[in-house]
Amino acid sequence: MRATRWRRPQLNPIIVREVRTRMRGVRPYLILTAFLVLLAAAGVGIYQLMLQQARFGAMLLSAQVGQGLFRGLAFVELLLVVFLAPSMTSGAISGEREQLTYDMLMATPLRPAQILWGKLVAALSYLFLLIFAAVPVFSVVLVFGGVELRALLKALGLLLAATVFFGAIGLCCSAFGRRTARATTIAYIVVLLLLGIPVLLASVWGLFSTPQGQLPPPELLYLNPFSALLSITTVAPAGDMTAPFFGFGDPLGGLPILSLLGPGVVYYGPNGVVVIPVYRATLLCYGLLTTLLCWLSTHLVLPNRRWRPRWSDLGFLLVVVGFLAVAYLTQGWWHIPAPKQF
Amino acid sequence: MTPAIETVNLSRRYGRMVALDNLNLSVAAGAIYGFIGPNGAGKTTTLRLLAGLLEPTSGEVRLMGQRLLPGGGQRLVGYMPDFFGVYDDLRVWEYLDFFARCYGLDGARRKRAVDELLSLVDLSSKRDAYVQSLSRGMQQRLCLAHALIHDPPVLLLDEPASGLDPRARVELRELLRTLREMGKTVLLSSHILSELAEVCTEIGIIESGKMVVSGPVEEVRRQLQGGSRLRIRVMRGLEAAEARLRQLVAEPQEGLPRLGVLRHDPTDDQALIVEMAEGDEEAQARLLAHLVGQGVLVSEFRPQAENLEELFLRLTAVE
Repeated sequence: MRATRWRRPQLNPIIVREVRTRMRGVRPYLILTAFLVLLAAAGVGIYQLMLQQARFGAMLLSAQVGQGLFRGLAFVELLLVVFLAPSMTSGAISGEREQLTYDMLMATPLRPAQILWGKLVAALSYLFLLIFAAVPVFSVVLVFGGVELRALLKALGLLLAATVFFGAIGLCCSAFGRRTARATTIAYIVVLLLLGIPVLLASVWGLFSTPQGQLPPPELLYLNPFSALLSITTVAPAGDMTAPFFGFGDPLGGLPILSLLGPGVVYYGPNGVVVIPVYRATLLCYGLLTTLLCWLSTHLVLPNRRWRPRWSDLGFLLVVVGFLAVAYLTQGWWHIPAPKQF
Repeated sequence: MTPAIETVNLSRRYGRMVALDNLNLSVAAGAIYGFIGPNGAGKTTTLRLLAGLLEPTSGEVRLMGQRLLPGGGQRLVGYMPDFFGVYDDLRVWEYLDFFARCYGLDGARRKRAVDELLSLVDLSSKRDAYVQSLSRGMQQRLCLAHALIHDPPVLLLDEPASGLDPRARVELRELLRTLREMGKTVLLSSHILSELAEVCTEIGIIESGKMVVSGPVEEVRRQLQGGSRLRIRVMRGLEAAEARLRQLVAEPQEGLPRLGVLRHDPTDDQALIVEMAEGDEEAQARLLAHLVGQGVLVSEFRPQAENLEELFLRLTAVE
């Protein structure tokens, strides 16, 4: 009997399967509800905080409330996404191994890149659903004003890029680890190191710099999504300091914790406040690293001949070269050095 | 005729451990080949190598005459692993539909294949049930259906009967016969010989990564038995017959076969069982003529075949 002739499927079967099952049961709806409730609660909390500050005599404009809400909501959403994305993808491959379907999947003509792409898209589509479901919550900002549409789009772009990047970290750990628990642990360690180390270094930079008291270079914070978001959501006051844009002297809008992320992004100099747009470099780095993580995953997922060169490697190489070329050509756009302080 | 499955000096090592040692296997097209061996003998390794899931340390695999290249065997082979998993959150038809999509079957063909296979494995009534709600036997049949979704000429089934109740085993055997009638070449492994003896056309016994014996079931049986075992039932003169046979055991006589152990048949006190060094019919006939010539009234004289289970145990006994 003749074997069936292999043809490329119209739709990635992994995506079809995941889409069919992703919304089954109560769990996805519970996560969605909890996500939106948390976000809404954060919005109410930020609003109350700003009202509280106004009660103590601070001048509060409607635009400032809008900006504060936008910043706060964006940070909460980014925090949720950064911690949800690895958990969504860290079981993608190890889960197949655990439920003993890995061999059956590997015995089909699906290529590793197809499997990983399907897994990544399926996991991220749910996270994208969370992000887009939160848009109505964000629309509250429009009631108060003060936020440019461009800033909204930039924040959305960063959220999506961070989702893909942190999802790719989980996916790579899943392809590497044989057990989901192990893969998830490794993914969270990587995420925590990525988030914690730059902020920690930035906060103590001044103690060890020569001369002492120097602010950290922005390059240190390129991989930290919170620093990138801070650079998007912080509006430097206009040059005329006699008529400040903010009622607060603080360009961070008086929100707690954010000041920890300030060093390396917000510089206070004799010419006023300077906000370094580190998000541009963050987006480029995430694009490059996501490509590298996906390449690594396509090799790790294989049951044998893991490191034998494949044609797909050429595709990945071209994408990496493309990113590097774009980075080289747009160096002046994304690489903005810190202003001279002393 | 080109064998459907052929391995040439196939070896596989895991570090220092040799899981498979120069395996030369040839399975004719349309055969049901039983791959038998104790746990850890190398059966699963062989099947995974044939399915392209493992890379051989040396040697090669040929499927339908074509050398198995990396990523090239999936179209020719349907593989059902030993410990298979099922996507619990899928319905039965979705499960098959998923694998049909993996093999690139288009819409109409996919639907037809799903329907036909559900009918073949008798799961049409469970079409919309969740996979997790199926019994072990049903899941086994569903997994077999998944291996058939792309209509491969070769099926590799690793321990397909393990964990099944007697009824499910009978159903599986029927299914295997149907597959044979469809022209499929089936290689299935088991560590329990009785599971396979009835349904296989060829068997191979593997131990410690080496093939001990391989070929059609009867040929293997003959090859392994070497000499033969005779059961002689005596109407009258049992003592005389026993005495004469013991004499022949102690002092072989020219023109008569050399005899080995002589004992009473525990199930029949009028019968004796004697082992012969030679197994050919002529030697048996000479012995019968001799006993009759000695006045022994023989009512039954026939070779007693050692069953495959005993052969297997003898072959795979610790040396």
